[in-house]
Amino acid sequence: MRPRVFVTGVGVVSSIGLGKSEFFRALEAGRSGISHVESFDASGLGREYAGEVKGFAPRDHLTAAEARRTGRCSAMALAAARMALEDAGLGEGALRGPRTAVVIGTTMGEAGVLGDLDQGFIHHGPRGVKRALLPKYGSTLLPITVARAIGAEGMVLTLPAACAAGNYAIGFGADLIRCGRADVVVTGAAEIIQELQFSGFVRLAAMAPERCQPFDLNRQGLILGEGAGLVILESEAHAVRRHARAQAEIGGYGLSCDAYHITRPHPDAAGSIVAMRDAIARSGLRPEDVDFVNAHGTGTKHNDAAEAKVMKDVFGDRTVPISSMKSMLGHCMGAASALEAIGCVMTIENSVYPPTIGYETPDPECDLDVVANISRRGKGDVVMNNSLAFGGYNAVTLFARPGLLPPPPVGA
Amino acid sequence: MNPRAVTGLGILSTLGIGREGFFAAMQGAGPEGPTAGEGAPRAALTSFDATAYPDANVAEVPDFEAAKYLGDKGIRTLDRLTKLLIVAARLALHDAGYKNERRGAAAADNAFLVSSPARVGLVCSNAYGSLEAITELDRVATLEDARYINPAKFPNTVSNSAAGYVSIWEDLRAMNVSVSDGNCGGLDAVACADIYLETGRADALLVGGAESMSEALYLAFHKLGAFDHATRIGEAAVLMMIEPSAHAQARGARVLGEIVGYGTAFVGPERDAQLIHASGPAMERAIAAALDDAGVRGDEIDVVASGVSGLRAFDDVELAAIARVVGSDAGVVAPKLRFGETLGAGGAMGIAATLAWLGGTPIGPLVHGSVRANVRTALVTAMGFYGNASAVVVRAGTF
Repeated sequence: MRPRVFVTGVGVVSSIGLGKSEFFRALEAGRSGISHVESFDASGLGREYAGEVKGFAPRDHLTAAEARRTGRCSAMALAAARMALEDAGLGEGALRGPRTAVVIGTTMGEAGVLGDLDQGFIHHGPRGVKRALLPKYGSTLLPITVARAIGAEGMVLTLPAACAAGNYAIGFGADLIRCGRADVVVTGAAEIIQELQFSGFVRLAAMAPERCQPFDLNRQGLILGEGAGLVILESEAHAVRRHARAQAEIGGYGLSCDAYHITRPHPDAAGSIVAMRDAIARSGLRPEDVDFVNAHGTGTKHNDAAEAKVMKDVFGDRTVPISSMKSMLGHCMGAASALEAIGCVMTIENSVYPPTIGYETPDPECDLDVVANISRRGKGDVVMNNSLAFGGYNAVTLFARPGLLPPPPVGA
Repeated sequence: MNPRAVTGLGILSTLGIGREGFFAAMQGAGPEGPTAGEGAPRAALTSFDATAYPDANVAEVPDFEAAKYLGDKGIRTLDRLTKLLIVAARLALHDAGYKNERRGAAAADNAFLVSSPARVGLVCSNAYGSLEAITELDRVATLEDARYINPAKFPNTVSNSAAGYVSIWEDLRAMNVSVSDGNCGGLDAVACADIYLETGRADALLVGGAESMSEALYLAFHKLGAFDHATRIGEAAVLMMIEPSAHAQARGARVLGEIVGYGTAFVGPERDAQLIHASGPAMERAIAAALDDAGVRGDEIDVVASGVSGLRAFDDVELAAIARVVGSDAGVVAPKLRFGETLGAGGAMGIAATLAWLGGTPIGPLVHGSVRANVRTALVTAMGFYGNASAVVVRAGTF
């Protein structure tokens, strides 16, 4: 029998708050983290708004030595990891040893370090490349930085999986425990906004001017965001042994690849449907058991319409409340589904569905029960987290109130 | 772990393109044999403009023309990393009998013979992404204007882009996983694949790693003073078709070898300010865990395909760890002296070397101990730059 896996702690660095309480209060209140870009000069790029994290000072969370040797992305990941440990009631040395793994998703990792290296090279040639910066590049450093700080000595792994990276990491982390390869996995994702990515999304004509309005008839595209969301996953035995409080149980998760186009979703959305159905089936549940869906909901024409189609296919005529946290956070790329997974855990804990803000005009192509503008109380026993990313990367995780999933989880 | 059969190998390295070419090149050098390129005049580099680096000595894939394998449609905006990886996938799928050989075929004309596309996926390691794409777009944005960034090339800047394109070209729909753990990633990909197979998410997975040569990659390691001498910095794309041994046996597949054990560990440095770090304890634990996972003793390991690459600080630690766990007389080989330090692809290249040895090619170059006759069980090791280490046990096929 495979062990159950619980979420026992969460940590958040986001544009709407640092730490679990601030984050959820903002989600519940429908507060937007989208603001004018300040980390680089965006004038002239055609768009100037993003969900930038403005209140994050690495030295509030990292030692001086840690701050010196880490880029901004790793620093956010480490800060979120420390918050998650504290939330789980784990002291800094509590996870020391080979049975703790660290698995973190991202799309670009230390994109800022690479940008600085490139600028030196472009302006001054090979001599302009700063040698001291070189070892700080490499997405490998995200889990390494976290593992080092908490003494984890098991697997350290980065899973770059486009904008589904958070769910890829969390799902894989849960399976590591189920397969007996670890007792505890510190997992999630981190991402920063960097000028090149920002410009690229503008050039893909995918970016909205000031607001992200998922499922709205007049939605104009996505808004980029950034942040880090890390969770502590624990085997039931480990959690029970230390009398930890389970915030949620992670059920099965579903994976698929559209194998269709590098930026467009498959028109018949077959891959997304497989991933959602698999997440439900691997949890030992049926579609009617799902109480709330956190949408991928980027606010682009194609993606939202495709997701609405998938919802119909999976749930039939039953309307399931759905909402997109990206209306508040922007699209935090690799970190998106990790931050949203934490939102899902808190949805279960608080029995409150966060709203989709900026939702003004329903779109007949997105005929869904969108939690519009104001959060809604609901049962929230079983919550699904969709991630249907560029490149056809589909990853869907499912979280449930502890004790509700049939024992043991089916499949994985 | 449950045994996983390797039923196909798609490989592009400085030793050539394709499994047969790789095995033939491996045939060419025994324990005392020359390392590739040694003594020969250096050919001009084709992966980047090296006029600013007259002494550059890198291990690049020779004569790589993607169109020869992929046709000339739809490849114009693909970067080198992506093209190398798609070709590796196509070769591996053919080698494993999953698809017909379709040299130059378009993606659509490329159907599966075994399994359905929904049951075949990809797990691929890469350490540094497409630096070529990122620097090119950075250059356009900086020297011209961000509005001139080519949107068709923008997706190439994302770390998992090359793997994403492989799924599109080869119709792999089970899952598409990129793994990044520096030099250990090529072995970690095997561990990940094992989890995906163990949880029933696929019938078979293309597993391995890729790293492509670019000016930025060369310059970075040149600046750090690494790999200019004993080992060249290099590129490679290597994908193995891996399936549960029972599945391979049921379909009567030819087996190149079986992967039977895996271990990984991380131990950070003592000094707070230190970042680069070779960890002996991590290497020892990774090896011990891999042996335990495989259910074999150290003295049952016939040969070790190490990550030894000419970086003394790392090589000494790795060799000492191997001696302590496997045995002081263990035969240790440094395949990287032949095909270069290929970083994210390195671990998978190490496994590919053991497959060649199991297929009967001479074993070398040896850096410690001696070669046993009749090699049946091999250990592959990798050390990361930050205190991470991984190991995999490969054995000759048992069916």
